[in-house]
Amino acid sequence: MTTSSMSIARPNTVLVIAAIGLVVTLGMAGMNLMAQGHAAFNTNSVGISWGLPIVTYDYFLLTSTGLTLVASLPLVFELKSFQPVAKRCVWLAIAGLVGGVSSLALELGSPIKAISIIWTFQTGSPLFWKVLFVLAHFVLLVVLFARMRGGGPVRGIAAAQFVAALGIALIAGAVYGMMAMRPFWFGGDVPVAFLIESFLGGLAFIIFFSYLAHGFNAQAMPADLRGLFGGALGATFAVVIALHAAFVGARVVTGLWSNAEGLEVWGYISSRPLFHVEIWLGIALPLVLMGSRGTRQNPTMQIAAAVLVMISLLISRYDFIIGGQMVPLFKGSWAPSLLAYVPSTTEWLVFLAAIFLANVVNAYGEWKFDLDGR
Amino acid sequence: MAKWGMVIDLEKCTGCQACSTACAMENNRLPGESWQDVLFYHEGKYPNVKMSWLPRPCMHCENPSCVTVCPTKATYKTADGVVLVDWNKCIGCKYCMIACPYGVRFYSDDKAIIEPDLRKVFAGDGKRSWNPPYRMADASEDATRGIGIQPRGVVSKCTFCYHKISKAPKGVADLDEDNPQTKEHTPSCVRVCAPKARYFGDLDNPDSRVNQLIADKGGVRLKEETGNKPQVYYLSGGGSPVVPGARSSGKA
Repeated sequence: MTTSSMSIARPNTVLVIAAIGLVVTLGMAGMNLMAQGHAAFNTNSVGISWGLPIVTYDYFLLTSTGLTLVASLPLVFELKSFQPVAKRCVWLAIAGLVGGVSSLALELGSPIKAISIIWTFQTGSPLFWKVLFVLAHFVLLVVLFARMRGGGPVRGIAAAQFVAALGIALIAGAVYGMMAMRPFWFGGDVPVAFLIESFLGGLAFIIFFSYLAHGFNAQAMPADLRGLFGGALGATFAVVIALHAAFVGARVVTGLWSNAEGLEVWGYISSRPLFHVEIWLGIALPLVLMGSRGTRQNPTMQIAAAVLVMISLLISRYDFIIGGQMVPLFKGSWAPSLLAYVPSTTEWLVFLAAIFLANVVNAYGEWKFDLDGR
Repeated sequence: MAKWGMVIDLEKCTGCQACSTACAMENNRLPGESWQDVLFYHEGKYPNVKMSWLPRPCMHCENPSCVTVCPTKATYKTADGVVLVDWNKCIGCKYCMIACPYGVRFYSDDKAIIEPDLRKVFAGDGKRSWNPPYRMADASEDATRGIGIQPRGVVSKCTFCYHKISKAPKGVADLDEDNPQTKEHTPSCVRVCAPKARYFGDLDNPDSRVNQLIADKGGVRLKEETGNKPQVYYLSGGGSPVVPGARSSGKA
């Protein structure tokens, strides 16, 4: 089978599955939301105000910015060996962004009114800057992709894109890191951790979706793409996993050691099996796989490492966002020492709808545009 | 222009919840959505148990983090020092709820805190998220100030009964239920407080009762470390108001 026939056949299958999944999940979530409003979510005014839909939004948003950062390596910093993933990174970044924003739209009380954020110019709010940068990010991504398809000059627009992506990742971290009243979140290291997680997500996603586009058949991939994954990109992946491990390790150890009020959440989080899936299967194992030259060049190991990191980052995002709200603020003795939260069926449907929507957009791109092209 | 503030004497408060009830009736709160609540805390185990309570309205901070983080300027501070929410601008992002150190904000679309859900019993008409038979006069409602019954998808909070205090005679130092001139302009929670544990007045007026109490009895504010500078002060006999953390009380 030729490379081109593989890269057309697979996305069509993904497109159909994702489209069906999108219709089903979005339809069910939409009906629940119309019938019950946000009471269909398990968030509440007692303390857990931001639930799984916000986790989904930030997860996809940071993946989108990470993919842009990866694309900037060849497009801005002229690391030509990364050129084979540039176009797919840009399109995948659009797909991720669309998926994430759809989740946010279903979570907001009034998503239409949210456009007013732009002209109210509330510069003191991190959300103002986040929205501004996300809008710029989207417009620049579309323009950049159009330029890449048309063969026009891209370095200037890619540089602007790089700044937007960098800004979003840092601001997304600042949204939480600035909250002095929530010790679990508070800290200047949080935006930097978000930036590293974003870059890590970008690397994991481009590996997985490149393989998906080629039917998980390394032989069907262009030789330079294969070489990149076993070489520079794989090694970069290992380095960024190590950096991420350092940040996670530092936060966990500090949190567990401290007696400060609010940091007891770390004790709860570290007692859950999912935390250990995140740490040992999602960080340590991929680091070993990508750190060793033999396994780094093995396509199956690359895919495994990418999937594990993608799952690990999702757990990490969930634990971070929910964990920061678990300590009740001025609720009295009737409130438990840590608030409980389990996403509702509707929240899971919104999560799945975002995944399906992102996959619809991505598979459409794989089908209609030659994402392996230069 | 006055800078309204409140003083709560914890040595007088009996935890009767009359303030919470009056607030709920005055402002048409759903059960559980207590803009004004009296929180109960206990430390230790039987037979050595210490119980304390803390009335908790919105702190109407001098430097409110909820105002800073609101991306649409829906939450704002008035010239007379009160933090309000413009429901016409609120997009329901809930960042203010995240950023409030005192947990005093409520989202109108959440699951009912207490069943049955009265929003279903008294269904809203679009303008209001619910429509109880008892409610403040339509003329008193003001969506731009977060007064009345909120629409769906917005955040609400204590207004210091702004529909009352904003009509107070100019220049008064205190809004006191015992003064016929200011009785109707006194916040409901203050007006009904049987042991007279609450005082409401102008923090910028050196002659106000609230300023005298803060000075004479060592008024303190909650969570000073956040820099929010609440305009609600607590009198606790010289010490800080007791709000045990989960860890310090051995709860965590």
